[in-house]
Amino acid sequence: MLPVDSTISRVRRDMTLSTLLKTALGCAALVCIVGGGGDNARVVGLLGISAFWVWLSLNSARSSRTAAESPSLIAAGQFEEAERNIEQTVRAFSLFRPVKLQALHHLALLRHAQRRWQESAVLARALLRQRLGALQPLSRPTLLLLADSLLEMNDVRGAYEAIARLHRERLTLPEVLNLLAIQLDYSTRIAAWPSMLDNVMEKVQLAELMPPVVAARSQAAMGLAARKLGRQDLADWLRARAELLTDVQQMALERPALAELWR
Amino acid sequence: MEAAAPTGILEVDRLLDSSEPRPRVNPVWWMGGIFLLAMCATVIVGGAPAESRQALAALFGLLVVASVAALSLFSVYSVRQLRAGHQRVQQIGELVQLRRWPEAAMSLDSYLSEPSRTQQLRVQALAYLGPVLARLGRFDDVIAVQTHLIEDGRVDPSGVAALRIGRAMAMLHEDHLFDADRAISELRRGPAAGSAALALLEIYRDVKTGHPAEAVEIFQQKLPILRDQLGHRAADAYALIARAYDLLGREQEARTAFRNATLLAPVVELFRRYAEVQKLADRFQPAPAPPEAA
Repeated sequence: MLPVDSTISRVRRDMTLSTLLKTALGCAALVCIVGGGGDNARVVGLLGISAFWVWLSLNSARSSRTAAESPSLIAAGQFEEAERNIEQTVRAFSLFRPVKLQALHHLALLRHAQRRWQESAVLARALLRQRLGALQPLSRPTLLLLADSLLEMNDVRGAYEAIARLHRERLTLPEVLNLLAIQLDYSTRIAAWPSMLDNVMEKVQLAELMPPVVAARSQAAMGLAARKLGRQDLADWLRARAELLTDVQQMALERPALAELWR
Repeated sequence: MEAAAPTGILEVDRLLDSSEPRPRVNPVWWMGGIFLLAMCATVIVGGAPAESRQALAALFGLLVVASVAALSLFSVYSVRQLRAGHQRVQQIGELVQLRRWPEAAMSLDSYLSEPSRTQQLRVQALAYLGPVLARLGRFDDVIAVQTHLIEDGRVDPSGVAALRIGRAMAMLHEDHLFDADRAISELRRGPAAGSAALALLEIYRDVKTGHPAEAVEIFQQKLPILRDQLGHRAADAYALIARAYDLLGREQEARTAFRNATLLAPVVELFRRYAEVQKLADRFQPAPAPPEAA
């Protein structure tokens, strides 16, 4: 299993190396164009640099292709294969920063799927500290991972900070759904019942688009809020929907606070 | 989130034709050609006077820089165009998921009326076209689009299985019962075997063809996976099974199933999806809902 700290260090070191190499190649190319020396030597030098660049780019593209397979492997529950894939990407040299940053994100995703919350949070934080450039959209799923991992670790304040940052971003529909589920979980933990019922039907309609277990958990959380606020009709309706979507006992084991809805 | 059928749009034959991507020139070949020409010129003038060789070397250097700059600009432009295409198709997907059917229909018509940037984006957009057409009740068009995608060969096996299920569902809606039955038999041998979507399809066929006992048997066997894989769309299975119990004269079970169906989805929506379920309208009451959900 890839150790988190050394992986982060290795990724940082490789990115610095690739920046240095790119700068060196750029300077060498400039020297070939404007510098002295024989014409043929300059042409050969330029062609050599171009060929080396193309070779490095092709290798990096291969790494990028390998890295792209990791999310589907994680989604399919093939964790060992995903781990191997990520390890390969981390160890291979890449000319491009995004390949390495993506590998870091995939490792955070994998650790989250493995319920290793602490490691997932460390990786997500390390990634968010980097200059993401063209990969800026990656900051949103990373923040979602961070918020969820911190909530699982009962770090409510840390989760709040991540959620607050997400509210300043323009999110895609899957991200909106993910954020809503996390936010309902967070609000349950801090007993923010009234805010959970703001635009409740809009939230319920969004919850219908979530995977069944998450949809059930989110509706149970809103049901609990309704009960706390004396809205028994709404609480009963949401509880009955949750019962049809998942094994309630299992849900209560994972989220003990929600068990109150069935007492 | 209700659908109003837009008229005069989503003509399937036209959209299948107009959305085909246009062949594009690969700039790498042009670059290669320019480099080759420049190298040939260098060899040819190898014996020329020193001033000419110097001028040619400078020209060659400029050519390399200009070509790299042009290639970089072209790459940036292409990536932006591709990203915009991805974003547009992603937005269409979100509209379909949010069941904002009229907007989804308009966006799909607009997107598919022009050549797509890539085949992958076109296939994705056509995959979204199926549910929109189904929502508009144009099941023959659904069959045409999904047959096109299945025969196209660009969709992965699990995607093909999902398309075959959608097409078989459309066949049942259009009363092409023989074709649907054959499609279900084929699906049982493929990657969709044992899936909740296939179970729902079989339940619908059995209700439609008057075999309620078989529908109930499948439902009882598959209830855990119907719940785990379909989520709120398990409402469809509950609604159909309510009709199956009704056909069997098991009123109490029909009432419970109808209540469960209407807990998970609005009754109007269920009636719209399955004409067979409408027959229960005057018999059973939907599940009580709070005022917000009414």
